[in-house]
Amino acid sequence: MGILIEGKKISKSFGGLTAVNGVDFHVMEGEIVGLIGPNGAGKTTLFNLITGIFPPDSGNLTFQEKKLGGLKSFEICRLGIARTFQIVRPFLKMTCLENVLVGIIGREGGTSSQKDKNERARRLMKITGLERLETRLAKDITLIEKKRLEVARALATAPQAILLDEVMAGLNLSEMQQAMELIEMIRSELKITILWIEHVMGAIMKTSDRVIVMDQGQKIMEGKPEAVVTDRRVIEAYLGESDA
Amino acid sequence: MKPATVGFSAAGLALAALLPFLLSQYWLHVMIISLFYVMMASSWNLLAGYTGQVSFAHAAFAGVGAYTSGMISVQLGISPWLGIPLGVAAAGLLGLGLGFLCIRMGGIYLSLTTLGFSEIIRIVITNEDKWTRGTMGLQTPGLFTEYSKTFYYFLFLAVAIAMAAIIYKLIHSEWGLTMRAVLNDEVAASASGINTIRVRLLAFTATSAMAGLAGGLYGHYLMLVTPDIPSLGQMFLVLAMAVIGGMGSFAGPIVGAFVLEILSEYIRSWGEYHVLVFGLIALAMARFAPEGLMGFWTKKRENRGHID
Repeated sequence: MGILIEGKKISKSFGGLTAVNGVDFHVMEGEIVGLIGPNGAGKTTLFNLITGIFPPDSGNLTFQEKKLGGLKSFEICRLGIARTFQIVRPFLKMTCLENVLVGIIGREGGTSSQKDKNERARRLMKITGLERLETRLAKDITLIEKKRLEVARALATAPQAILLDEVMAGLNLSEMQQAMELIEMIRSELKITILWIEHVMGAIMKTSDRVIVMDQGQKIMEGKPEAVVTDRRVIEAYLGESDA
Repeated sequence: MKPATVGFSAAGLALAALLPFLLSQYWLHVMIISLFYVMMASSWNLLAGYTGQVSFAHAAFAGVGAYTSGMISVQLGISPWLGIPLGVAAAGLLGLGLGFLCIRMGGIYLSLTTLGFSEIIRIVITNEDKWTRGTMGLQTPGLFTEYSKTFYYFLFLAVAIAMAAIIYKLIHSEWGLTMRAVLNDEVAASASGINTIRVRLLAFTATSAMAGLAGGLYGHYLMLVTPDIPSLGQMFLVLAMAVIGGMGSFAGPIVGAFVLEILSEYIRSWGEYHVLVFGLIALAMARFAPEGLMGFWTKKRENRGHID
Protein backbone atom coordinates (compact mmCIF):
# COMPACT_ATOMS: atom_id res chain seq x y z
CA MET A 1 0.00 0.00 0.00
CA GLY A 2 1.78 3.09 -1.21
CA ILE A 3 0.91 6.74 -1.40
CA LEU A 4 -1.72 7.37 -4.07
CA ILE A 5 -2.21 11.14 -4.05
CA GLU A 6 0.33 13.49 -2.58
CA GLY A 7 0.55 17.27 -2.34
CA LYS A 8 3.60 19.23 -1.22
CA LYS A 9 3.39 22.90 -0.23
CA ILE A 10 0.30 23.52 -2.33
CA SER A 11 -0.75 27.18 -2.56
CA LYS A 12 -3.43 28.99 -4.52
CA SER A 13 -4.52 32.62 -4.36
CA PHE A 14 -7.40 34.39 -6.02
CA GLY A 15 -6.39 38.03 -6.17
CA GLY A 16 -5.62 39.00 -2.60
CA LEU A 17 -7.28 35.96 -1.08
CA THR A 18 -5.06 33.00 -0.29
CA ALA A 19 -7.48 30.08 -0.56
CA VAL A 20 -4.91 27.33 -0.02
CA ASN A 21 -1.67 28.13 1.75
CA GLY A 22 1.28 25.73 1.75
CA VAL A 23 -0.71 22.57 2.33
CA ASP A 24 1.06 19.19 2.58
CA PHE A 25 -1.13 16.11 2.41
CA HIS A 26 -1.21 12.56 1.19
CA VAL A 27 -3.77 9.84 0.65
CA MET A 28 -2.73 6.20 0.90
CA GLU A 29 -4.03 3.54 -1.44
CA GLY A 30 -7.25 2.04 -0.06
CA GLU A 31 -7.76 4.74 2.54
CA ILE A 32 -10.85 6.77 3.33
CA VAL A 33 -9.64 10.24 4.24
CA GLY A 34 -12.02 12.91 5.53
CA LEU A 35 -11.32 16.56 4.76
CA ILE A 36 -13.03 18.93 7.17
CA GLY A 37 -12.89 22.55 8.17
CA PRO A 38 -15.16 25.59 8.48
CA ASN A 39 -16.62 27.33 5.44
CA GLY A 40 -13.97 29.05 3.35
CA ALA A 41 -11.19 26.82 4.68
CA GLY A 42 -10.07 25.95 1.14
CA LYS A 43 -11.33 22.36 0.95
CA THR A 44 -13.13 22.64 -2.38
CA THR A 45 -10.26 24.72 -3.78
CA LEU A 46 -7.92 21.84 -2.89
CA PHE A 47 -10.25 19.47 -4.79
CA ASN A 48 -10.22 21.80 -7.78
CA LEU A 49 -6.43 21.87 -7.70
CA ILE A 50 -6.13 18.09 -7.54
CA THR A 51 -8.58 17.62 -10.44
CA GLY A 52 -7.00 20.31 -12.61
CA ILE A 53 -9.93 22.74 -12.72
CA PHE A 54 -7.19 25.32 -12.16
CA PRO A 55 -3.45 24.92 -11.50
CA PRO A 56 -1.78 25.63 -8.14
CA ASP A 57 0.36 28.79 -7.90
CA SER A 58 3.10 26.74 -6.29
CA GLY A 59 3.74 23.28 -4.91
CA ASN A 60 3.70 19.79 -6.35
CA LEU A 61 0.80 17.41 -6.82
CA THR A 62 1.41 13.78 -7.70
CA PHE A 63 -0.77 10.76 -8.36
CA GLN A 64 1.05 7.42 -8.16
CA GLU A 65 4.24 9.46 -8.35
CA LYS A 66 3.15 11.01 -11.67
CA LYS A 67 3.15 14.81 -11.64
CA LEU A 68 -0.30 16.35 -12.10
CA GLY A 69 1.06 19.84 -12.80
CA GLY A 70 0.04 21.13 -16.23
CA LEU A 71 -2.45 18.34 -16.86
CA LYS A 72 -5.98 19.20 -17.89
CA SER A 73 -9.03 18.06 -15.99
CA PHE A 74 -9.87 15.28 -18.46
CA GLU A 75 -6.29 13.97 -18.42
CA ILE A 76 -6.34 13.74 -14.64
CA CYS A 77 -9.65 11.90 -14.84
CA ARG A 78 -8.13 9.45 -17.30
CA LEU A 79 -5.21 8.83 -14.93
CA GLY A 80 -7.76 7.61 -12.40
CA ILE A 81 -9.03 10.46 -10.22
CA ALA A 82 -12.78 11.07 -10.35
CA ARG A 83 -14.84 13.61 -8.45
CA THR A 84 -18.27 14.93 -7.62
CA PHE A 85 -19.18 18.59 -7.22
CA GLN A 86 -20.42 20.36 -4.10
CA ILE A 87 -22.99 22.20 -6.19
CA VAL A 88 -24.12 19.30 -8.32
CA ARG A 89 -23.36 19.44 -12.03
CA PRO A 90 -25.19 16.60 -13.79
CA PHE A 91 -25.83 16.96 -17.53
CA LEU A 92 -29.34 18.29 -17.01
CA LYS A 93 -30.78 17.82 -20.47
CA MET A 94 -29.54 14.25 -20.80
CA THR A 95 -31.05 11.09 -19.38
CA CYS A 96 -29.55 9.56 -16.25
CA LEU A 97 -28.23 6.61 -18.24
CA GLU A 98 -26.56 8.98 -20.72
CA ASN A 99 -24.99 10.87 -17.81
CA VAL A 100 -23.31 7.69 -16.62
CA LEU A 101 -22.34 6.67 -20.16
CA VAL A 102 -20.41 9.93 -20.55
CA GLY A 103 -18.16 8.83 -17.70
CA ILE A 104 -17.54 5.43 -19.31
CA ILE A 105 -16.79 6.97 -22.72
CA GLY A 106 -14.66 9.69 -21.12
CA ARG A 107 -12.32 7.19 -19.52
CA GLU A 108 -11.93 4.61 -22.24
CA GLY A 109 -13.14 6.16 -25.50
CA GLY A 110 -14.75 3.80 -27.97
CA THR A 111 -13.02 0.52 -27.15
CA SER A 112 -15.86 -1.67 -25.90
CA SER A 113 -19.24 -2.38 -27.48
CA GLN A 114 -22.30 -0.24 -26.90
CA LYS A 115 -24.06 -3.15 -25.21
CA ASP A 116 -21.18 -3.65 -22.82
CA LYS A 117 -21.16 0.06 -21.93
CA ASN A 118 -24.90 0.13 -21.35
CA GLU A 119 -24.63 -2.90 -19.07
CA ARG A 120 -21.86 -1.34 -17.04
CA ALA A 121 -23.78 1.93 -16.76
CA ARG A 122 -26.87 0.05 -15.57
CA ARG A 123 -24.84 -1.83 -12.97
CA LEU A 124 -23.47 1.44 -11.60
CA MET A 125 -26.96 2.92 -11.52
CA LYS A 126 -28.09 -0.09 -9.55
CA ILE A 127 -25.44 0.17 -6.86
CA THR A 128 -26.12 3.90 -6.48
CA GLY A 129 -29.85 3.25 -6.24
CA LEU A 130 -30.86 4.86 -9.52
CA GLU A 131 -32.05 1.81 -11.45
CA ARG A 132 -35.55 3.14 -12.05
CA LEU A 133 -34.36 6.47 -13.45
CA GLU A 134 -32.56 5.34 -16.63
CA THR A 135 -34.71 7.24 -19.10
CA ARG A 136 -35.47 10.25 -16.89
CA LEU A 137 -33.81 13.56 -17.71
CA ALA A 138 -31.33 14.60 -15.04
CA LYS A 139 -33.14 17.92 -14.60
CA ASP A 140 -36.28 16.08 -13.49
CA ILE A 141 -34.82 14.12 -10.56
CA THR A 142 -34.46 15.17 -6.91
CA LEU A 143 -31.33 16.74 -5.46
CA ILE A 144 -30.44 13.53 -3.62
CA GLU A 145 -30.80 11.55 -6.83
CA LYS A 146 -28.63 14.11 -8.60
CA LYS A 147 -25.94 13.60 -5.98
CA ARG A 148 -26.10 9.85 -6.47
CA LEU A 149 -26.00 10.36 -10.22
CA GLU A 150 -22.78 12.33 -9.80
CA VAL A 151 -21.30 9.47 -7.80
CA ALA A 152 -22.41 7.00 -10.50
CA ARG A 153 -20.90 9.16 -13.26
CA ALA A 154 -17.64 9.48 -11.31
CA LEU A 155 -17.51 5.72 -10.71
CA ALA A 156 -18.16 5.18 -14.42
CA THR A 157 -14.72 6.62 -15.18
CA ALA A 158 -13.29 3.53 -13.38
CA PRO A 159 -11.17 5.60 -10.99
CA GLN A 160 -8.58 4.48 -8.48
CA ALA A 161 -9.44 7.44 -6.29
CA ILE A 162 -12.67 9.36 -5.94
CA LEU A 163 -13.07 12.82 -4.42
CA LEU A 164 -16.50 13.40 -2.93
CA ASP A 165 -17.49 16.99 -2.17
CA GLU A 166 -20.23 17.18 0.48
CA VAL A 167 -22.35 14.30 -0.75
CA MET A 168 -24.23 14.22 2.57
CA ALA A 169 -25.44 17.82 2.68
CA GLY A 170 -29.22 17.99 2.69
CA LEU A 171 -29.75 14.29 3.35
CA ASN A 172 -31.96 12.99 6.15
CA LEU A 173 -30.74 10.39 8.64
CA SER A 174 -31.75 7.27 6.74
CA GLU A 175 -30.42 8.68 3.46
CA MET A 176 -27.18 9.49 5.24
CA GLN A 177 -26.99 5.91 6.45
CA GLN A 178 -27.40 4.71 2.85
CA ALA A 179 -24.74 7.13 1.67
CA MET A 180 -22.30 5.87 4.28
CA GLU A 181 -22.96 2.30 3.24
CA LEU A 182 -22.33 3.32 -0.37
CA ILE A 183 -19.01 4.90 0.59
CA GLU A 184 -17.91 1.80 2.52
CA MET A 185 -18.94 -0.34 -0.43
CA ILE A 186 -17.00 1.83 -2.90
CA ARG A 187 -13.88 1.10 -0.91
CA SER A 188 -14.41 -2.52 0.07
CA GLU A 189 -15.91 -3.88 -3.15
CA LEU A 190 -14.78 -1.50 -5.88
CA LYS A 191 -11.35 -1.02 -4.22
CA ILE A 192 -11.44 2.72 -4.73
CA THR A 193 -9.58 5.13 -2.47
CA ILE A 194 -11.73 7.95 -1.11
CA LEU A 195 -10.99 11.54 -0.16
CA TRP A 196 -14.12 13.30 0.96
CA ILE A 197 -15.18 16.69 2.19
CA GLU A 198 -17.98 16.63 4.69
CA HIS A 199 -19.62 18.85 7.24
CA VAL A 200 -21.63 16.07 8.84
CA MET A 201 -19.24 15.17 11.67
CA GLY A 202 -20.94 11.93 12.65
CA ALA A 203 -20.51 10.56 9.14
CA ILE A 204 -16.88 11.65 8.84
CA MET A 205 -15.99 10.21 12.24
CA LYS A 206 -17.64 6.89 11.60
CA THR A 207 -16.43 6.27 8.06
CA SER A 208 -12.94 7.83 7.80
CA ASP A 209 -9.64 6.16 8.58
CA ARG A 210 -7.95 9.50 8.90
CA VAL A 211 -9.08 13.13 8.96
CA ILE A 212 -7.36 16.24 7.65
CA VAL A 213 -8.54 19.56 9.11
CA MET A 214 -8.16 22.81 7.21
CA ASP A 215 -8.77 26.36 8.36
CA GLN A 216 -8.17 29.58 6.44
CA GLY A 217 -6.26 27.81 3.71
CA GLN A 218 -3.91 25.90 6.00
CA LYS A 219 -3.81 22.37 7.28
CA ILE A 220 -4.10 22.73 11.03
CA MET A 221 -4.37 19.10 12.10
CA GLU A 222 -4.35 15.58 10.80
CA GLY A 223 -4.96 12.26 12.51
CA LYS A 224 -7.40 9.60 13.62
CA PRO A 225 -11.00 10.84 13.84
CA GLU A 226 -11.12 10.44 17.63
CA ALA A 227 -7.96 12.44 18.07
CA VAL A 228 -9.11 15.21 15.76
CA VAL A 229 -12.46 15.97 17.42
CA THR A 230 -10.89 16.49 20.81
CA ASP A 231 -8.02 18.64 19.53
CA ARG A 232 -8.06 22.18 20.87
CA ARG A 233 -7.04 23.80 17.56
CA VAL A 234 -9.85 22.06 15.72
CA ILE A 235 -12.45 23.13 18.25
CA GLU A 236 -11.16 26.70 18.06
CA ALA A 237 -11.32 26.69 14.28
CA TYR A 238 -14.96 25.68 14.40
CA LEU A 239 -16.15 27.56 17.45
CA GLY A 240 -13.74 30.45 17.66
CA GLU A 241 -10.95 30.94 20.22
CA SER A 242 -11.76 30.59 23.88
CA ASP A 243 -11.06 33.54 26.16
CA ALA A 244 -9.53 31.38 28.84
CA MET B 1 -35.83 2.34 -37.20
CA LYS B 2 -39.54 1.85 -36.82
CA PRO B 3 -41.55 0.59 -39.83
CA ALA B 4 -43.45 3.90 -39.91
CA THR B 5 -40.19 5.84 -40.19
CA VAL B 6 -38.99 3.60 -43.02
CA GLY B 7 -42.34 4.02 -44.79
CA PHE B 8 -42.23 7.80 -44.43
CA SER B 9 -38.64 7.95 -45.66
CA ALA B 10 -39.40 5.78 -48.70
CA ALA B 11 -42.46 7.86 -49.59
CA GLY B 12 -40.47 11.07 -49.09
CA LEU B 13 -37.66 9.82 -51.33
CA ALA B 14 -40.11 8.77 -54.04
CA LEU B 15 -41.79 12.16 -53.93
CA ALA B 16 -38.41 13.92 -53.98
CA ALA B 17 -37.38 11.89 -57.04
CA LEU B 18 -40.59 12.84 -58.85
CA LEU B 19 -40.49 16.56 -58.02
CA PRO B 20 -38.53 17.69 -61.12
CA PHE B 21 -41.27 16.22 -63.30
CA LEU B 22 -44.06 17.83 -61.30
CA LEU B 23 -42.74 21.30 -60.60
CA SER B 24 -42.19 24.30 -62.83
CA GLN B 25 -38.59 25.47 -63.39
CA TYR B 26 -39.23 28.30 -60.93
CA TRP B 27 -40.35 26.02 -58.09
CA LEU B 28 -37.57 23.58 -58.89
CA HIS B 29 -35.20 26.49 -58.33
CA VAL B 30 -36.86 27.14 -54.96
CA MET B 31 -36.35 23.48 -54.06
CA ILE B 32 -32.66 23.65 -54.95
CA ILE B 33 -32.20 26.76 -52.81
CA SER B 34 -34.12 25.05 -49.99
CA LEU B 35 -31.74 22.09 -50.16
CA PHE B 36 -28.81 24.52 -49.89
CA TYR B 37 -30.39 25.91 -46.73
CA VAL B 38 -31.02 22.40 -45.42
CA MET B 39 -27.26 21.84 -45.58
CA MET B 40 -26.51 25.21 -44.01
CA ALA B 41 -29.07 25.07 -41.18
CA SER B 42 -28.42 21.40 -40.33
CA SER B 43 -24.68 21.86 -40.08
CA TRP B 44 -25.03 25.11 -38.12
CA ASN B 45 -27.38 23.31 -35.75
CA LEU B 46 -24.76 20.60 -35.20
CA LEU B 47 -22.39 23.31 -33.99
CA ALA B 48 -24.77 25.61 -32.13
CA GLY B 49 -27.50 23.21 -31.05
CA TYR B 50 -25.26 20.31 -30.03
CA THR B 51 -22.07 21.91 -28.70
CA GLY B 52 -23.51 25.30 -27.72
CA GLN B 53 -21.09 27.28 -29.90
CA VAL B 54 -23.43 29.86 -31.40
CA SER B 55 -21.23 30.87 -34.32
CA PHE B 56 -22.10 33.75 -36.63
CA ALA B 57 -19.44 32.73 -39.13
CA HIS B 58 -21.33 29.92 -40.83
CA ALA B 59 -22.34 31.96 -43.87
CA ALA B 60 -18.77 33.23 -44.06
CA PHE B 61 -17.56 29.63 -44.39
CA ALA B 62 -20.07 29.04 -47.16
CA GLY B 63 -18.53 32.13 -48.78
CA VAL B 64 -15.04 30.69 -48.34
CA GLY B 65 -16.18 27.49 -50.07
CA ALA B 66 -17.91 29.35 -52.90
CA TYR B 67 -15.08 31.83 -53.55
CA THR B 68 -12.27 29.28 -53.22
CA SER B 69 -13.86 27.02 -55.80
CA GLY B 70 -15.00 29.97 -57.93
CA MET B 71 -11.59 31.66 -58.03
CA ILE B 72 -9.75 28.40 -58.70
CA SER B 73 -11.99 27.61 -61.65
CA VAL B 74 -11.95 31.16 -63.04
CA GLN B 75 -8.29 32.08 -62.47
CA LEU B 76 -6.68 28.68 -62.94
CA GLY B 77 -9.22 27.02 -65.17
CA ILE B 78 -9.48 24.01 -62.88
CA SER B 79 -12.72 22.02 -62.91
CA PRO B 80 -15.26 22.97 -60.23
CA TRP B 81 -15.52 19.27 -59.40
CA LEU B 82 -12.00 19.62 -58.01
CA GLY B 83 -12.52 23.20 -56.85
CA ILE B 84 -15.42 22.34 -54.53
CA PRO B 85 -13.39 19.80 -52.47
CA LEU B 86 -10.62 22.40 -52.23
CA GLY B 87 -13.19 24.93 -51.02
CA VAL B 88 -14.36 22.41 -48.43
CA ALA B 89 -10.77 21.98 -47.25
CA ALA B 90 -10.23 25.76 -47.07
CA ALA B 91 -13.42 26.25 -45.06
CA GLY B 92 -12.53 23.35 -42.77
CA LEU B 93 -9.04 24.70 -42.12
CA LEU B 94 -10.29 28.22 -41.42
CA GLY B 95 -12.98 26.70 -39.19
CA LEU B 96 -10.30 24.85 -37.25
CA GLY B 97 -8.39 28.11 -36.84
CA LEU B 98 -11.42 30.10 -35.72
CA GLY B 99 -12.50 27.27 -33.41
CA PHE B 100 -9.02 27.30 -31.88
CA LEU B 101 -9.30 31.04 -31.29
CA CYS B 102 -12.63 30.52 -29.55
CA ILE B 103 -11.57 27.61 -27.27
CA ARG B 104 -11.64 29.61 -24.08
CA MET B 105 -14.75 31.50 -25.06
CA GLY B 106 -18.36 30.67 -24.65
CA GLY B 107 -21.70 32.36 -25.04
CA ILE B 108 -21.74 35.94 -26.20
CA TYR B 109 -17.94 36.26 -26.52
CA LEU B 110 -17.73 33.41 -28.97
CA SER B 111 -20.66 34.83 -30.92
CA LEU B 112 -19.06 38.28 -31.12
CA THR B 113 -15.70 36.87 -32.20
CA THR B 114 -17.30 34.82 -34.98
CA LEU B 115 -19.39 37.82 -35.99
CA GLY B 116 -16.21 39.85 -36.35
CA PHE B 117 -14.55 37.06 -38.34
CA SER B 118 -17.58 36.88 -40.63
CA GLU B 119 -17.41 40.59 -41.38
CA ILE B 120 -13.66 40.40 -42.01
CA ILE B 121 -14.23 37.68 -44.61
CA ARG B 122 -16.99 39.73 -46.29
CA ILE B 123 -14.94 42.93 -46.33
CA VAL B 124 -11.85 41.20 -47.71
CA ILE B 125 -13.93 39.57 -50.44
CA THR B 126 -15.63 42.86 -51.29
CA ASN B 127 -12.36 44.80 -51.49
CA GLU B 128 -10.00 42.32 -53.14
CA ASP B 129 -11.85 42.84 -56.41
CA LYS B 130 -8.86 41.86 -58.51
CA TRP B 131 -9.45 38.28 -57.37
CA THR B 132 -13.08 38.27 -56.40
CA ARG B 133 -14.54 40.99 -58.61
CA GLY B 134 -15.98 42.51 -55.43
CA THR B 135 -19.62 43.47 -55.41
CA MET B 136 -19.84 42.90 -59.16
CA GLY B 137 -19.74 39.22 -58.43
CA LEU B 138 -17.58 36.46 -59.80
CA GLN B 139 -18.96 34.63 -62.78
CA THR B 140 -18.22 30.97 -62.27
CA PRO B 141 -18.65 27.98 -64.57
CA GLY B 142 -21.47 25.52 -63.97
CA LEU B 143 -21.02 21.94 -62.89
CA PHE B 144 -22.64 20.40 -65.97
CA THR B 145 -21.75 21.04 -69.60
CA GLU B 146 -25.42 21.28 -70.39
CA TYR B 147 -27.35 23.50 -67.96
CA SER B 148 -30.20 21.59 -66.36
CA LYS B 149 -32.04 22.44 -63.15
CA THR B 150 -33.01 18.79 -62.87
CA PHE B 151 -29.35 17.75 -62.71
CA TYR B 152 -28.62 20.36 -60.05
CA TYR B 153 -31.69 19.35 -58.12
CA PHE B 154 -30.60 15.71 -57.93
CA LEU B 155 -27.03 16.70 -57.03
CA PHE B 156 -28.21 18.99 -54.22
CA LEU B 157 -30.69 16.35 -53.06
CA ALA B 158 -28.00 13.65 -52.91
CA VAL B 159 -25.52 15.86 -51.07
CA ALA B 160 -28.16 17.16 -48.64
CA ILE B 161 -29.32 13.62 -47.85
CA ALA B 162 -25.73 12.42 -47.41
CA MET B 163 -24.92 15.35 -45.14
CA ALA B 164 -28.09 14.85 -43.10
CA ALA B 165 -27.26 11.15 -42.77
CA ILE B 166 -23.76 11.96 -41.51
CA ILE B 167 -25.18 14.49 -39.03
CA TYR B 168 -27.80 11.96 -37.90
CA LYS B 169 -25.11 9.33 -37.40
CA LEU B 170 -22.92 11.78 -35.50
CA ILE B 171 -25.55 13.01 -33.07
CA HIS B 172 -26.65 9.44 -32.30
CA SER B 173 -23.09 8.22 -31.78
CA GLU B 174 -20.81 8.49 -28.77
CA TRP B 175 -19.47 11.69 -30.32
CA GLY B 176 -22.96 13.09 -30.14
CA LEU B 177 -23.20 12.11 -26.51
CA THR B 178 -19.93 13.82 -25.67
CA MET B 179 -20.99 16.90 -27.65
CA ARG B 180 -24.18 17.16 -25.63
CA ALA B 181 -22.19 16.68 -22.43
CA VAL B 182 -19.98 19.62 -23.45
CA LEU B 183 -23.09 21.66 -24.24
CA ASN B 184 -24.66 20.82 -20.87
CA ASP B 185 -21.64 21.45 -18.65
CA GLU B 186 -18.09 21.83 -19.88
CA VAL B 187 -16.45 21.58 -16.45
CA ALA B 188 -18.32 18.41 -15.52
CA ALA B 189 -17.63 16.92 -18.96
CA SER B 190 -13.92 17.53 -18.58
CA ALA B 191 -13.96 16.10 -15.04
CA SER B 192 -15.60 12.99 -16.54
CA GLY B 193 -12.67 12.46 -18.89
CA ILE B 194 -14.03 14.21 -21.99
CA ASN B 195 -11.46 16.15 -24.00
CA THR B 196 -13.75 19.15 -24.36
CA ILE B 197 -11.33 21.11 -26.55
CA ARG B 198 -11.14 18.28 -29.08
CA VAL B 199 -14.92 17.94 -29.14
CA ARG B 200 -15.38 21.66 -29.75
CA LEU B 201 -12.66 21.87 -32.39
CA LEU B 202 -13.92 18.83 -34.25
CA ALA B 203 -17.43 20.27 -34.32
CA PHE B 204 -16.13 23.63 -35.55
CA THR B 205 -13.97 22.09 -38.27
CA ALA B 206 -16.55 19.57 -39.49
CA THR B 207 -19.43 22.04 -39.63
CA SER B 208 -17.32 24.72 -41.32
CA ALA B 209 -16.32 22.19 -43.97
CA MET B 210 -20.01 21.33 -44.44
CA ALA B 211 -20.81 25.02 -44.91
CA GLY B 212 -17.94 25.21 -47.40
CA LEU B 213 -19.44 22.33 -49.37
CA ALA B 214 -22.90 23.91 -49.36
CA GLY B 215 -21.41 27.25 -50.46
CA GLY B 216 -19.30 25.67 -53.20
CA LEU B 217 -22.27 23.89 -54.74
CA TYR B 218 -24.43 26.99 -54.40
CA GLY B 219 -21.87 29.17 -56.17
CA HIS B 220 -21.59 26.83 -59.15
CA TYR B 221 -25.36 26.55 -59.34
CA LEU B 222 -25.96 30.30 -59.39
CA MET B 223 -22.87 30.71 -61.61
CA LEU B 224 -22.44 34.10 -59.97
CA VAL B 225 -20.73 34.33 -56.59
CA THR B 226 -21.35 37.61 -54.73
CA PRO B 227 -20.51 38.89 -51.23
CA ASP B 228 -24.16 38.17 -50.40
CA ILE B 229 -23.21 34.56 -49.70
CA PRO B 230 -20.89 35.40 -46.77
CA SER B 231 -23.18 38.20 -45.54
CA LEU B 232 -24.76 38.53 -42.12
CA GLY B 233 -28.20 38.69 -43.72
CA GLN B 234 -27.59 35.20 -45.01
CA MET B 235 -26.29 34.15 -41.59
CA PHE B 236 -29.38 35.37 -39.78
CA LEU B 237 -31.59 33.61 -42.28
CA VAL B 238 -29.80 30.30 -41.53
CA LEU B 239 -30.04 31.03 -37.81
CA ALA B 240 -33.75 31.79 -38.09
CA MET B 241 -34.32 28.53 -39.97
CA ALA B 242 -32.62 26.48 -37.26
CA VAL B 243 -34.30 28.34 -34.39
CA ILE B 244 -37.79 28.36 -35.93
CA GLY B 245 -37.49 24.72 -37.00
CA GLY B 246 -36.09 23.67 -33.65
CA MET B 247 -32.49 23.97 -32.49
CA GLY B 248 -30.92 20.91 -30.97
CA SER B 249 -33.16 18.52 -32.86
CA PHE B 250 -32.23 16.64 -36.00
CA ALA B 251 -35.32 17.41 -38.08
CA GLY B 252 -35.83 20.99 -36.87
CA PRO B 253 -33.41 22.81 -39.20
CA ILE B 254 -34.52 20.70 -42.19
CA VAL B 255 -38.14 21.66 -41.62
CA GLY B 256 -37.14 25.27 -40.88
CA ALA B 257 -35.12 25.53 -44.11
CA PHE B 258 -38.03 24.43 -46.33
CA VAL B 259 -40.67 26.44 -44.46
CA LEU B 260 -38.72 29.70 -44.49
CA GLU B 261 -37.36 29.41 -48.03
CA ILE B 262 -40.77 28.63 -49.49
CA LEU B 263 -42.39 31.32 -47.33
CA SER B 264 -39.82 33.90 -48.43
CA GLU B 265 -40.81 33.29 -52.07
CA TYR B 266 -44.32 34.47 -51.18
CA ILE B 267 -43.13 37.59 -49.42
CA ARG B 268 -40.43 38.36 -51.98
CA SER B 269 -41.98 41.76 -52.66
CA TRP B 270 -41.06 42.85 -49.13
CA GLY B 271 -37.44 42.84 -50.18
CA GLU B 272 -34.84 42.70 -47.44
CA TYR B 273 -37.58 43.13 -44.83
CA HIS B 274 -38.34 39.44 -44.97
CA VAL B 275 -35.11 38.73 -43.04
CA LEU B 276 -36.30 41.22 -40.42
CA VAL B 277 -39.64 39.45 -40.16
CA PHE B 278 -37.93 36.06 -39.83
CA GLY B 279 -35.62 37.51 -37.21
CA LEU B 280 -38.56 38.72 -35.15
CA ILE B 281 -40.32 35.37 -35.47
CA ALA B 282 -37.09 33.60 -34.46
CA LEU B 283 -36.78 35.90 -31.42
CA ALA B 284 -40.35 35.21 -30.38
CA MET B 285 -39.86 31.45 -30.88
CA ALA B 286 -36.62 31.47 -28.88
CA ARG B 287 -38.48 33.16 -26.03
CA PHE B 288 -41.80 31.35 -26.08
CA ALA B 289 -41.20 28.05 -27.93
CA PRO B 290 -37.48 27.28 -27.65
CA GLU B 291 -37.97 23.84 -29.16
CA GLY B 292 -39.28 25.37 -32.39
CA LEU B 293 -41.76 23.84 -34.80
CA MET B 294 -40.42 20.36 -33.96
CA GLY B 295 -41.25 21.09 -30.32
CA PHE B 296 -44.94 21.54 -31.21
CA TRP B 297 -44.86 18.26 -33.08
CA THR B 298 -43.28 16.21 -30.28
CA LYS B 299 -45.54 17.82 -27.66
CA LYS B 300 -48.58 16.86 -29.68
CA ARG B 301 -47.29 13.29 -29.96
CA GLU B 302 -46.66 13.17 -26.23
CA ASN B 303 -50.18 14.38 -25.49
CA ARG B 304 -51.59 11.61 -27.63
CA GLY B 305 -49.41 9.13 -25.76
CA HIS B 306 -47.32 8.16 -28.78
CA ILE B 307 -43.97 8.82 -27.23
CA ASP B 308 -41.73 5.80 -26.79
